[in-house]
Amino acid sequence: MAKVIPRKPLTLAERTYLPQVLGGLKTTFKRMVSPNVTLEYPEERPVIPEGYRGVPTLVKDPDGREKCVSCQLCEFVCPPKAIKIFPGEIPEDAPTAHVEKAPRDFQIDMLRCIYCGLCQEVCPEEAIFLQEIFSVTGYTRSELVYNKQKLYELGGTLPDRHFKWEKKRQAAERGHQH
Amino acid sequence: MPTLTIDGVAYPAEPQKNLLQVSLSHGLDLPYFCWHPALGSVGACRQCAVRQYRDENDSRGQIVMACMVPATPGTRIAIEDEEARLFRKSVIEWLMTNHPHDCPVCDEGGECHLQDMTVMTGHCTRRHRFPKRTFTNQYLGPFINHEMNRCIQCYRCVRFYRDYAGGRDLDAFASRNHVYFGRSEDGALENEFSGNLIEVCPTGVFTDRTLKNHYTRKWDLQSAPSICPHCSLGCNTLVGARYGGVRRVLNRYHHHINGYFLCDRGRFAYEFANLPIRLRHPVLPRPAAAKDGAGRPPTAAEAIAAIRTRLRRSRGLIGIGSPRASLESNYALRRLVGPDRYFSGLPQGESRLIAVALDILRDSPARSPSLREIAEADAVLVLGEDLTQTAPRMALAVRQSILQAPAARVAALNFPGWMAHAFQNAVQDDRGPLFIASVDATRLDDAATAVLHAPPADLARFGFAVAHAIDPEAPPVPDLDPETADLANRAAEALLAADRPLVLSGTSLHHEALLGAAANCGWALCRRGRPAGLGLVVPEANTFGAGLLGGRPLREAYELVESHQADTAVILENDLYRRSHGTDVDRFFDRLETTIVLDAVQTATTARADILLPAAPASESQGTFISQEGRAQRFFPVLPPTDPVAESWRWLGHLHPDEARALRSQEAMLIAIAAEFPFLAGAREAAPSATFRLNGAAVPRSSRRFSGRTAIHAHLSVHEPKPPEDSEAPLTFSMEGTTTAPPAALVTHYWAPGWNSVQALNKFQDEVGGPNRGGDPGIRLIEPRNVPRAYHNAIPPAFNSREGLCTLVPLHHSFGSEELSRLAPAIAKRTPPAAFSLSPADARERGLGEGDTLSIRIYGRPVRLPVRIHPQLPRGCVGFPAGWPDLAGIHLPTEGHFE
Amino acid sequence: MLSPAEQAALDAELPHYPARRALCIEALKIVQHHRGWISDEALRDVALALGMTPHEVDSVATFYNLLYRRPVGRHVLHLCDSVSCWVMGCDGICDHFRNRLGISFGETTPDGRFTLLPIPCLGDCDHAPSLMAGNRIHGNLTPEKLDRLLDELD
Repeated sequence: MAKVIPRKPLTLAERTYLPQVLGGLKTTFKRMVSPNVTLEYPEERPVIPEGYRGVPTLVKDPDGREKCVSCQLCEFVCPPKAIKIFPGEIPEDAPTAHVEKAPRDFQIDMLRCIYCGLCQEVCPEEAIFLQEIFSVTGYTRSELVYNKQKLYELGGTLPDRHFKWEKKRQAAERGHQH
Repeated sequence: MPTLTIDGVAYPAEPQKNLLQVSLSHGLDLPYFCWHPALGSVGACRQCAVRQYRDENDSRGQIVMACMVPATPGTRIAIEDEEARLFRKSVIEWLMTNHPHDCPVCDEGGECHLQDMTVMTGHCTRRHRFPKRTFTNQYLGPFINHEMNRCIQCYRCVRFYRDYAGGRDLDAFASRNHVYFGRSEDGALENEFSGNLIEVCPTGVFTDRTLKNHYTRKWDLQSAPSICPHCSLGCNTLVGARYGGVRRVLNRYHHHINGYFLCDRGRFAYEFANLPIRLRHPVLPRPAAAKDGAGRPPTAAEAIAAIRTRLRRSRGLIGIGSPRASLESNYALRRLVGPDRYFSGLPQGESRLIAVALDILRDSPARSPSLREIAEADAVLVLGEDLTQTAPRMALAVRQSILQAPAARVAALNFPGWMAHAFQNAVQDDRGPLFIASVDATRLDDAATAVLHAPPADLARFGFAVAHAIDPEAPPVPDLDPETADLANRAAEALLAADRPLVLSGTSLHHEALLGAAANCGWALCRRGRPAGLGLVVPEANTFGAGLLGGRPLREAYELVESHQADTAVILENDLYRRSHGTDVDRFFDRLETTIVLDAVQTATTARADILLPAAPASESQGTFISQEGRAQRFFPVLPPTDPVAESWRWLGHLHPDEARALRSQEAMLIAIAAEFPFLAGAREAAPSATFRLNGAAVPRSSRRFSGRTAIHAHLSVHEPKPPEDSEAPLTFSMEGTTTAPPAALVTHYWAPGWNSVQALNKFQDEVGGPNRGGDPGIRLIEPRNVPRAYHNAIPPAFNSREGLCTLVPLHHSFGSEELSRLAPAIAKRTPPAAFSLSPADARERGLGEGDTLSIRIYGRPVRLPVRIHPQLPRGCVGFPAGWPDLAGIHLPTEGHFE
Repeated sequence: MLSPAEQAALDAELPHYPARRALCIEALKIVQHHRGWISDEALRDVALALGMTPHEVDSVATFYNLLYRRPVGRHVLHLCDSVSCWVMGCDGICDHFRNRLGISFGETTPDGRFTLLPIPCLGDCDHAPSLMAGNRIHGNLTPEKLDRLLDELD
């Protein structure tokens, strides 16, 4: 059975509404003089904090070598299955032949990407990074399937801190036959 | 029941096996590298260490290698012992001191036994601070890629290549930390089974070079169980595909046929299906196509409508079948045109040969052996067949058979046969009896007890002589030279003394008497109470299947058209220019009003077609092949049919004018075949039907880890397409489906938790190295029957070379003689150029040297080819490359005139 | 082709072995004795003579460190660099080689007189550091002793 709880009657001050009106005005005047917190986007751009997970991009090392070796681990780990890699061989006469592989094409469907960063985390070559780009626009859906060229444009250059392939090249020079 | 104890759990003892094999068979995870079920134990890698206790009171025990200890009753071991575990972890750590950190670029990554074992043992941190030893790699030919830095020195490669396959150009070099596996110098690996190194190598030293052209990780491959279409043995394969193209072929374990190994032709020929010469659209005559305008290729419906119009107008329809098309396709054609207008697609001579071979096998007291039975035979006679070239995997089986007799002899030494080094030491150069009678030297000669190189007629005479020596009631051979007679007696003696004697022959020399001679040998052995095997090699994947449907020979088709009793022909997956002489075929096509051709690739015949229908090759279609053993086996498409490409039987079903009689599914086709040919009823049972479900679900073709499924079509549409449905097979074209291991006929990939490499196969067998769990696929249609058979007595006269004439003998080549495989780029790189092979005597007489041009008049037409001198070839015989297009259409026996 | 002298030496060894193949090491030693080292051509000659493939012969030739697959000098000096010799200062001997002859491990003097190779243990640990020249072992090496030895060898 429903229980009836009697409402407490309003006091005189409450009935005049004046304390509430004054309280509201106080907040209004305080905000008129305090600094702004919103941004005039898109004229004004926010400062992106370090570690921000925006659009995944591909990066090159300072020598201009594609760091991606098309191992396909990101394709494998990607939860929404947004990545598509066509592995390719580096020709034997190329200066980076010792790296053996580079993607022929690398496509990320930005409409499917959920910016989880698993691709960056899994990458054994530190070749894919979620960088500060957060706004992805286009007129058609197919435009939003970014190919390798576009991904490298967005990614830019990041240093290779391991020099793994350089070490491999040096080791190969020491290599001997049987 | 005598038991042994592993980690405190009792299991049945199996003293003839080792502890590693037994542990793995019980599903326990024990890491290993150097052990292989087919290669035995050498205890080299120290990876399968376990602690063994003397008895239940022994608490200390000692570390032993599980692969080297027999699983005798009362054995007590602990896999989960802390010290054993640490031992195994240290072994991996030590292997890893030199293993490069290049999994991302390694083709083996994701299906690497070394990766699996590293994870299994728990090693994860490198403590060794010094540089890794490095090697330079070698060029090993178009099949195999070499990356020596990844080597962990398990020696499996040389143990397979040298000890198992008989190769002599791969070896271990140097010592200590620098052991190198390769060749003395760069060059293609010569052995016909080199491709198995890819699967034998536990890591990425030997990888598939053809896969590099279109690399795909294992988890991204959509795979389906298939049957190799490139010879008559019916080896089971796993075809992998991605992005609409076939990517690679792996061995699919079949205990009775291919076991763990495939031949290189079967493994690397798949690429023909990706070539631009593949037919992807119907081709219609110009007037019909012009209606569409805009150059759009005709659709399937338009092609069918056009053909139906033609068929209605036709004043006589014939169908020409094919031994490389499936049973269903041949039957569908036969049903379309009627039994009396269905032609086998083989010339008279070959047609007769196949009929004789079938007659011999179908009512034979001798058993048509599986490859496993061949490997287990203890005396073998090969009559007239160069097995390495015509049925390579059978040659590998024969090579194992020569160790059976020595194995029996060393059994008294009381050590298990799987102790590979002990076995080799005990056996030394002792080999069991293998007699090879062939025209030219064969790649098996090095394994043979004795070889006879003679013209085909003399080989047959030798065979008849062997039969007579076994059973005096078999017809004797008149005027046999004493040398051959002596060899025949020796062979007969060896066969009679054996427990499992075996006679192998085939049709590759196109010599009927050889089949008769082989049959006599087999039957004579049976009459003498020996359990003989009798195997016949035939040319193509479904030669027996097509032969059992009983089409008329090709010559009669030509005559029918010549006499205006037919003006329309449907030609099923058959290049007539390979079957008959070019002028005959040209004349045939000229007389035809309408030529309808179904094929997967462009051929000389498709160029003559008025209407061309794109048929799916075996890798992309469903059907049944009947192997030379007489085993019906099903293959499944790896890719969904891309409209308008379809299986030939599907096309032919649609062409049937009578809707009521038209068969639209493979199941219906097989039911109709069974009704009409009770002998073939078993073909329906070759694999589970389309309605088969495991736990209510079909078997997925894609792995559970298949990636990019939704991204795969991103360039076409961002919408995720519905996976194509497969109404014919209990398989799905997606990763959804049952997670339980399917029956062997439906296995799409070998994977088990923690086992990503092909070694996961262990988990699909009840007993490692034994039959597939739930039985091996396929139904044997031919079983021995104890019927009295009269001996063949058509003994040919001895060969006599005549002045100015030569007997043409076909010399087959593993890489080049088979129609489809020779199209594959990798195989083509290993195909030798066309040449006439001459005996040294003939060459000397004509003053010819290696490489000179020889002109031989064949059918009145001169054929000019360079000369190759074959020291073993008998005088008066000239070998020509069988299956080379420039020499197609020679009906044997034929003589050539030297010019 | 094996030279007549090589062939004769090989034939003399033949009766001692059950199989031709078993002669491989002996044949390589004979060829090395006559030619100084085992070239690719020598490998093929031996393979032909024994019914083996060059790959198989090379597999044997590369295994043994007293069979040389590269040209060597007139005198091959095998200096032990194993534990005992290392403890007793084989590095110093090695340095002495470098100073005096300008060669280190794996190198040959430009005049083709000496080749220096490492060898793991000569079984002469009680006289470490130790070196083998030809068929003789020289123990308790000092730079002075080494100088005398090098002078003796022409």
